Amino acid sequence: MLWLALHFPALALDACTRGAHAPLPIVIASSPGNNAVVLACNHFAQRRGVRSGMPLAAACALSSELVVRARDVAAERAALERVASWALQFTPAVSIAQPAEVLLEAGGSLKLFGGLNRLCVRLENGLAELGYGFVLACAPTPFAAQLFARAGLPARIRHRDALRASLGRLTLDIFDLPHESATLLRAIGARTFDDCMRLPRDGMARRLGQEFLDTLDRALGRIPDPRPKFVPPTGFVAALMLPAPVHEAGQLLFAARRLLAELCGFLSATGNGAQRLAFALAHEDRAETRLTLDLAAATRDLEHLISVLRERLECLALPCPATAITLKSELLLPVASRNLSLLPDSREHAEAVGRLVERLRARLSAGAVRGLDTATDHRPERAWQICEPGNERSAQEAHTLARPLWLLASPKPLKEIEAMPHYEGPLALLAGPERIESGWWDGDDIVRDYFIARNPAHALLWVYRERRHDGGWYLHGFFA
Amino acid sequence: MVSLPDYAELHCLSNFTFLRGASRPEELVERAQALGYAALAITDECSVAGAVRAHVAARQSGLKLIIGTEIRLDDGLKLVLLATSRRGYGSLCTLITRGRMRSAKGHYQLARYDLEDGLSDCLVLLVPGNRPDPEDARYVAERFPGRAWIAVELLCGPNDRARLAALREIGAHSGLPLVATGDVHMHVRSRRPLQDTLAAIRLGIPVHKAGHALYPNAERHLRLRARLAQVYPPELVVETISIAGRCDFSLESLRYEYPDEIVPPGHTPASHLRSLTETGLLRRFPCGTPKHVRNLVEHELALIAELGYEHFFLTVYDIVQYARSQGILCQGRGSAANSAVCYALGITEVDPARMSVLFERFISRERNEPPDIDVDFEHQRREQVIQYIYRKYGRDRAALAATVITYRPRSALRDVGKALGLELSQLDRLAKSMNWWDGRRVLPERLREGGFAPDSPVIERLIRLVNDLVGFPRHLSQHVGGFVISRGPLSHLVPVENAAMPERSVIQWDKDDLDALGLLKVDVLALGMLSAIRRCLGLVERYRGGALTMQTILDRGDDATVYEMIRRADTIGVFQIESRAQMSMLPRLKPREFYDLVIEVAIVRPGPIQGGMVHPYLRRRQGLEPVTYPSEAVKKVLSRTLGVPIFQEQVMELAVVAAGFTPGEADNLRRSMAAWRRKGGLEHFYSRLIGGMLGRGYTREFAEQIYQQILGFGEYGFPESHSVSFALLAYVSAWLKHHEPAAFLAAMLNSQPLGFYSSSQLVQDARRHGVEMLPVDVTASDWECTLEPSDDWSPVTVHRSRLSSPAVRLGLLVIKGLSQAGAERVVAARLQSPYINVEDLVRRAGLDRRDLRSLAAAGALARLAGHRHLAHWQAAGVEAPPRLLSEAPMRESAPHLSTPTEGEELIADYGSLGLTLGRHPLALLRRRLARMRLATASELNRLANGRPARTAGLVTCRQRPSTAKGVVFVTLEDETGYVNVVVWRDLVEKQRRELLGSSLLGVEGEIQREGEVVHLVAHRLTDHTRLLGQLAAQSRDFH
Repeated sequence: MLWLALHFPALALDACTRGAHAPLPIVIASSPGNNAVVLACNHFAQRRGVRSGMPLAAACALSSELVVRARDVAAERAALERVASWALQFTPAVSIAQPAEVLLEAGGSLKLFGGLNRLCVRLENGLAELGYGFVLACAPTPFAAQLFARAGLPARIRHRDALRASLGRLTLDIFDLPHESATLLRAIGARTFDDCMRLPRDGMARRLGQEFLDTLDRALGRIPDPRPKFVPPTGFVAALMLPAPVHEAGQLLFAARRLLAELCGFLSATGNGAQRLAFALAHEDRAETRLTLDLAAATRDLEHLISVLRERLECLALPCPATAITLKSELLLPVASRNLSLLPDSREHAEAVGRLVERLRARLSAGAVRGLDTATDHRPERAWQICEPGNERSAQEAHTLARPLWLLASPKPLKEIEAMPHYEGPLALLAGPERIESGWWDGDDIVRDYFIARNPAHALLWVYRERRHDGGWYLHGFFA
Repeated sequence: MVSLPDYAELHCLSNFTFLRGASRPEELVERAQALGYAALAITDECSVAGAVRAHVAARQSGLKLIIGTEIRLDDGLKLVLLATSRRGYGSLCTLITRGRMRSAKGHYQLARYDLEDGLSDCLVLLVPGNRPDPEDARYVAERFPGRAWIAVELLCGPNDRARLAALREIGAHSGLPLVATGDVHMHVRSRRPLQDTLAAIRLGIPVHKAGHALYPNAERHLRLRARLAQVYPPELVVETISIAGRCDFSLESLRYEYPDEIVPPGHTPASHLRSLTETGLLRRFPCGTPKHVRNLVEHELALIAELGYEHFFLTVYDIVQYARSQGILCQGRGSAANSAVCYALGITEVDPARMSVLFERFISRERNEPPDIDVDFEHQRREQVIQYIYRKYGRDRAALAATVITYRPRSALRDVGKALGLELSQLDRLAKSMNWWDGRRVLPERLREGGFAPDSPVIERLIRLVNDLVGFPRHLSQHVGGFVISRGPLSHLVPVENAAMPERSVIQWDKDDLDALGLLKVDVLALGMLSAIRRCLGLVERYRGGALTMQTILDRGDDATVYEMIRRADTIGVFQIESRAQMSMLPRLKPREFYDLVIEVAIVRPGPIQGGMVHPYLRRRQGLEPVTYPSEAVKKVLSRTLGVPIFQEQVMELAVVAAGFTPGEADNLRRSMAAWRRKGGLEHFYSRLIGGMLGRGYTREFAEQIYQQILGFGEYGFPESHSVSFALLAYVSAWLKHHEPAAFLAAMLNSQPLGFYSSSQLVQDARRHGVEMLPVDVTASDWECTLEPSDDWSPVTVHRSRLSSPAVRLGLLVIKGLSQAGAERVVAARLQSPYINVEDLVRRAGLDRRDLRSLAAAGALARLAGHRHLAHWQAAGVEAPPRLLSEAPMRESAPHLSTPTEGEELIADYGSLGLTLGRHPLALLRRRLARMRLATASELNRLANGRPARTAGLVTCRQRPSTAKGVVFVTLEDETGYVNVVVWRDLVEKQRRELLGSSLLGVEGEIQREGEVVHLVAHRLTDHTRLLGQLAAQSRDFH
């Protein structure tokens, strides 16, 4: 048995920063709240004096440019799972050790990859491409490998005889001991593995419990330490937060490359290729932008995927900066085989509407096909919004306000004759005024009195009188 | 031209309906007056918290004010209730109290059954919802026949005409008449952005996402009467006048009634006060009352009788008497407290036989101010006194005054920023740019410093809204100790609600409100130093025998050696004069007698500093500047402070003698001074003051200077009457520190947290003064720190002489994590027989694991178990529950554990005790520091003015006084003493990181010496914290 442990010392930070090469001082905070502390920070932040463990408020006092992100445990967990999926290409026995390690049982793979050193080099190069900082250590027991990796020692210990001596110098803080045990050991002045080994076993058992002895024994391989095998998911979904909003589609390529590298590792581990890639770009306060790559054939060729994506990104105009990118791989096919069926199956049928939209968009360009929805704003211009087709609020909010179905794109000034507004003749004001004064916060404040009016042709109109500026009359919509 | 209709607004919320109302009560009153309204009702939601402010404003402007409230029942029924009489007001307050007392702080809950007693003498307006319910109208009509209306609020909604028609129909069916009301939320329509912002803050969402939760328009303001005439049918407008006509209640008619029970049967209040005073005089002056004291007493008693204040003095006396019976030390202060009567009653220790100057200002009939007595109690036992008050008068008759917590620039910035959708990090940055201080407004310069463009639209909106919001009330909190006690149920006088603290209730008015209505309160305050003094007196008594009290110390007269110590600024731990600013003042001011202390206490405060009084006074005192007075009248006021006004009383007297204010006006000035920072409104005194002084022949320069001094005093002005009481405690504590340093240290440690310095600093200081310290030890320590004979003194043979100086044995209370109950069991079981080992200790003291571990960590098991590593090993080996005595002791192989190093011991000491009796951490680093050419504090303090110097020390304090224009004062401690570092603003900005982030700070700079006062002006800061390793030095940041 030979175990490789990959320890990710800055997983929280990497999960957030690996999407871009930006010289930003980034800080990961324990929570979004007031009492947050700095969990991790990159070297741009360190250069400004930020240290992990300091209160977030103190860190912010040091520099006003810090980019603060709250820790996202789910994202870290997902990142580990994707690394594990990717690592399956090297050995079938991969295991995740929360919170920040992936273990590979590599005894059986050494030959295939040309020996331990070559295997390690391949792993190291691959991980660098994924954008993670890591320590790779190798030992005869999984726990020992983890310990060396956590200690930052790139150990390559292949035999158990050498293990005891090397473990001896490790300090206990990396053993992930229960708080109670760690406190006691510190209190009695025991700092290293060796210090523990010198304590009487009976006394230790009474004070620290059998579990502690087991921990020591597991490291030494005196008792078995089975690890659960990682089972890869059937599909691939990966999300990547961008440390700073990205304005140009082209800049997304860096982040997308990380995702595609993960995908290709996953595909080669599972023997599949992807035929369709769906990217989604998240924006603040806006529906996400979707980008689908349909490939002529299933593939797991990273460079090919990247070149296809680059072309698509070149002609994509971002509506507003992107804050995150998600890659979902649909239609995974064994690379050798291909589904030649022509008839749509039932699942596809259910997606017919979506497909229709997709097709229309393919023909007419994405921007030409939109959904309509209401919005809660007193200003008529903003009481509706465009949404992604199919995402309209299904429940119609009880709207008792009298509002015309047809709202003019921009209000049309009306003639005023003898203080009465005219639209194809003088208007009779039937109801009103309904005064609307709202919107100062975005610079589009309106101050208007709305009326329902009828003209000689019996058209029901929605008109208003501007209460600022010229005080003029405007037509804003048609009821009938 | 059509004449405007008369109109009274009957539904109007002020900003005391928190996060709904967008105008201050004063603004509403002024606007209503300007619009020619016949009356205005302030109807805050289940509250009358803004009523007094409105009342004061209405009294000034002559507007008729109606007191009412808006309530929403739990079934959604919304009513406006208006008081027509004192009785109606009482039932209103009772209802509000009921709704508030059954809910958590800030909320209320009322249901229809709460209206069942009929709310006598209240008028009721039904405020229908969006879909008016005829049932509600029928209910209201039946419940309140002949005094209920439907409030018609036409606010340019989608269809006002239809709404009016619907309400008319409901009115016709139910028989309820209709009346026009405005649902007013703001005094002018331009408050719309603020009102929207408040709504967004209330909902916790940004305003751009608030959508329909915002009002569609700004019609909820006080509208022009012409406009109202257009909107409402005339009969609805006329109805407002007839309703207003039925409301005949003014807060003016409230009379405060003191409880009866403090006067025993057979006595009148006056005769009872007289007899108590006579008894007290016999106690104070056993050899006969001096003639002038007798005269004072007679004068005061006559005045008290004339103004009818006997009950007040008797109430205070009763509380003080209770405290004394419980052995709780207390001390009164305030103008009325420094009186011969209070001295006789034991409310103050300030002796009229010695301090004549103060006693002229007791209470004056001209000033018409309620008597002012604050009583300080030992901080750890004040709760006992409060519970006594609740017990004696009942929770329905005693409650605390409120404190209105208002928006400060920083909190306003945070809330408005959130409402405008700014990002968390941006907000933090913004709030940081307001760091620590700033006045009451947000300044564009500050924003620019923080990297924000003040003229960008978002920031412009932000600033405007923040400046509007600053000073707005956020919630009611409890006053630190102002009790209102009444004869009948308090809730007939003012609503009572729950405070955040369980078992506390507060009234809805704050002290300014009470002041404005002439209602009296008794301040029951907490003062840590009293605890320390009481403990210290007790320790000395127990160690030396004989009685020692504050009075016996004071009776010995001014002690020259004590003043000598004070002049050396050797005052760590001494009440009031221990801060760094005070310590740098002492060698300059050179106090020689008690009155110097009174000045010292008052002068190092923001008021005199901002008013620019400090340096003139110092120069005059040092003889560098002649003492002159612009006139004889002024001389009379200022001669005791060398012509420089230092006390609040002097400023008021100046207004009288120099500017021709009446005493009543001067008192108004005092109130405005206290409140202007919160409310503004000092400007109209400006012309009166300046004009008055110019007219009396004073120069404009003098007049402006006095005005500036008044502004500077503002919130921080310190009255002489308080200063005297504090100076008394300062003197007593200095006396104890000088003559009984060991007892003083023990008492200070037993009273922590207290004062300016940490336990560690107090211990370091005491050791430098030769006080011997004994470690915390389960075989010797009590819960509190105690005195033990030092060295090898034998209890049987040696008499405890006055001269022997005791050692301080650290008490178990300094140990972090040790429960008091556990510690007390340790002490109790030890009295039976000494402990033989750790297991014996655990068994007999019934210690749990956590307590035992705390003892091991503290090194308190050393005599039973050896060094800390062994103690922890043994402590962890004791099994819980402890085995029975009969069982043989455990046998197990002993481990080989290393002996902790000195550094480890030090870290453990700080970790567990917060202090060390070993060497100072810097002593351990000294060789390294010396190699780095860093000098010690004592070396540095000997250097001459202008010399360059380098040092490093633990940062024990960082201060950025609001008066110092961005300068930060840092105090460094090493094994030899303290270094006072001055960091100018430029360097603060440049080396913020080192300044704020270092525990061990290195400073290069230049010595600035003025006599005994030495500062190191920093040129460069270096962070040496890593030298400390794990040692966490504690720094206290005083903001």
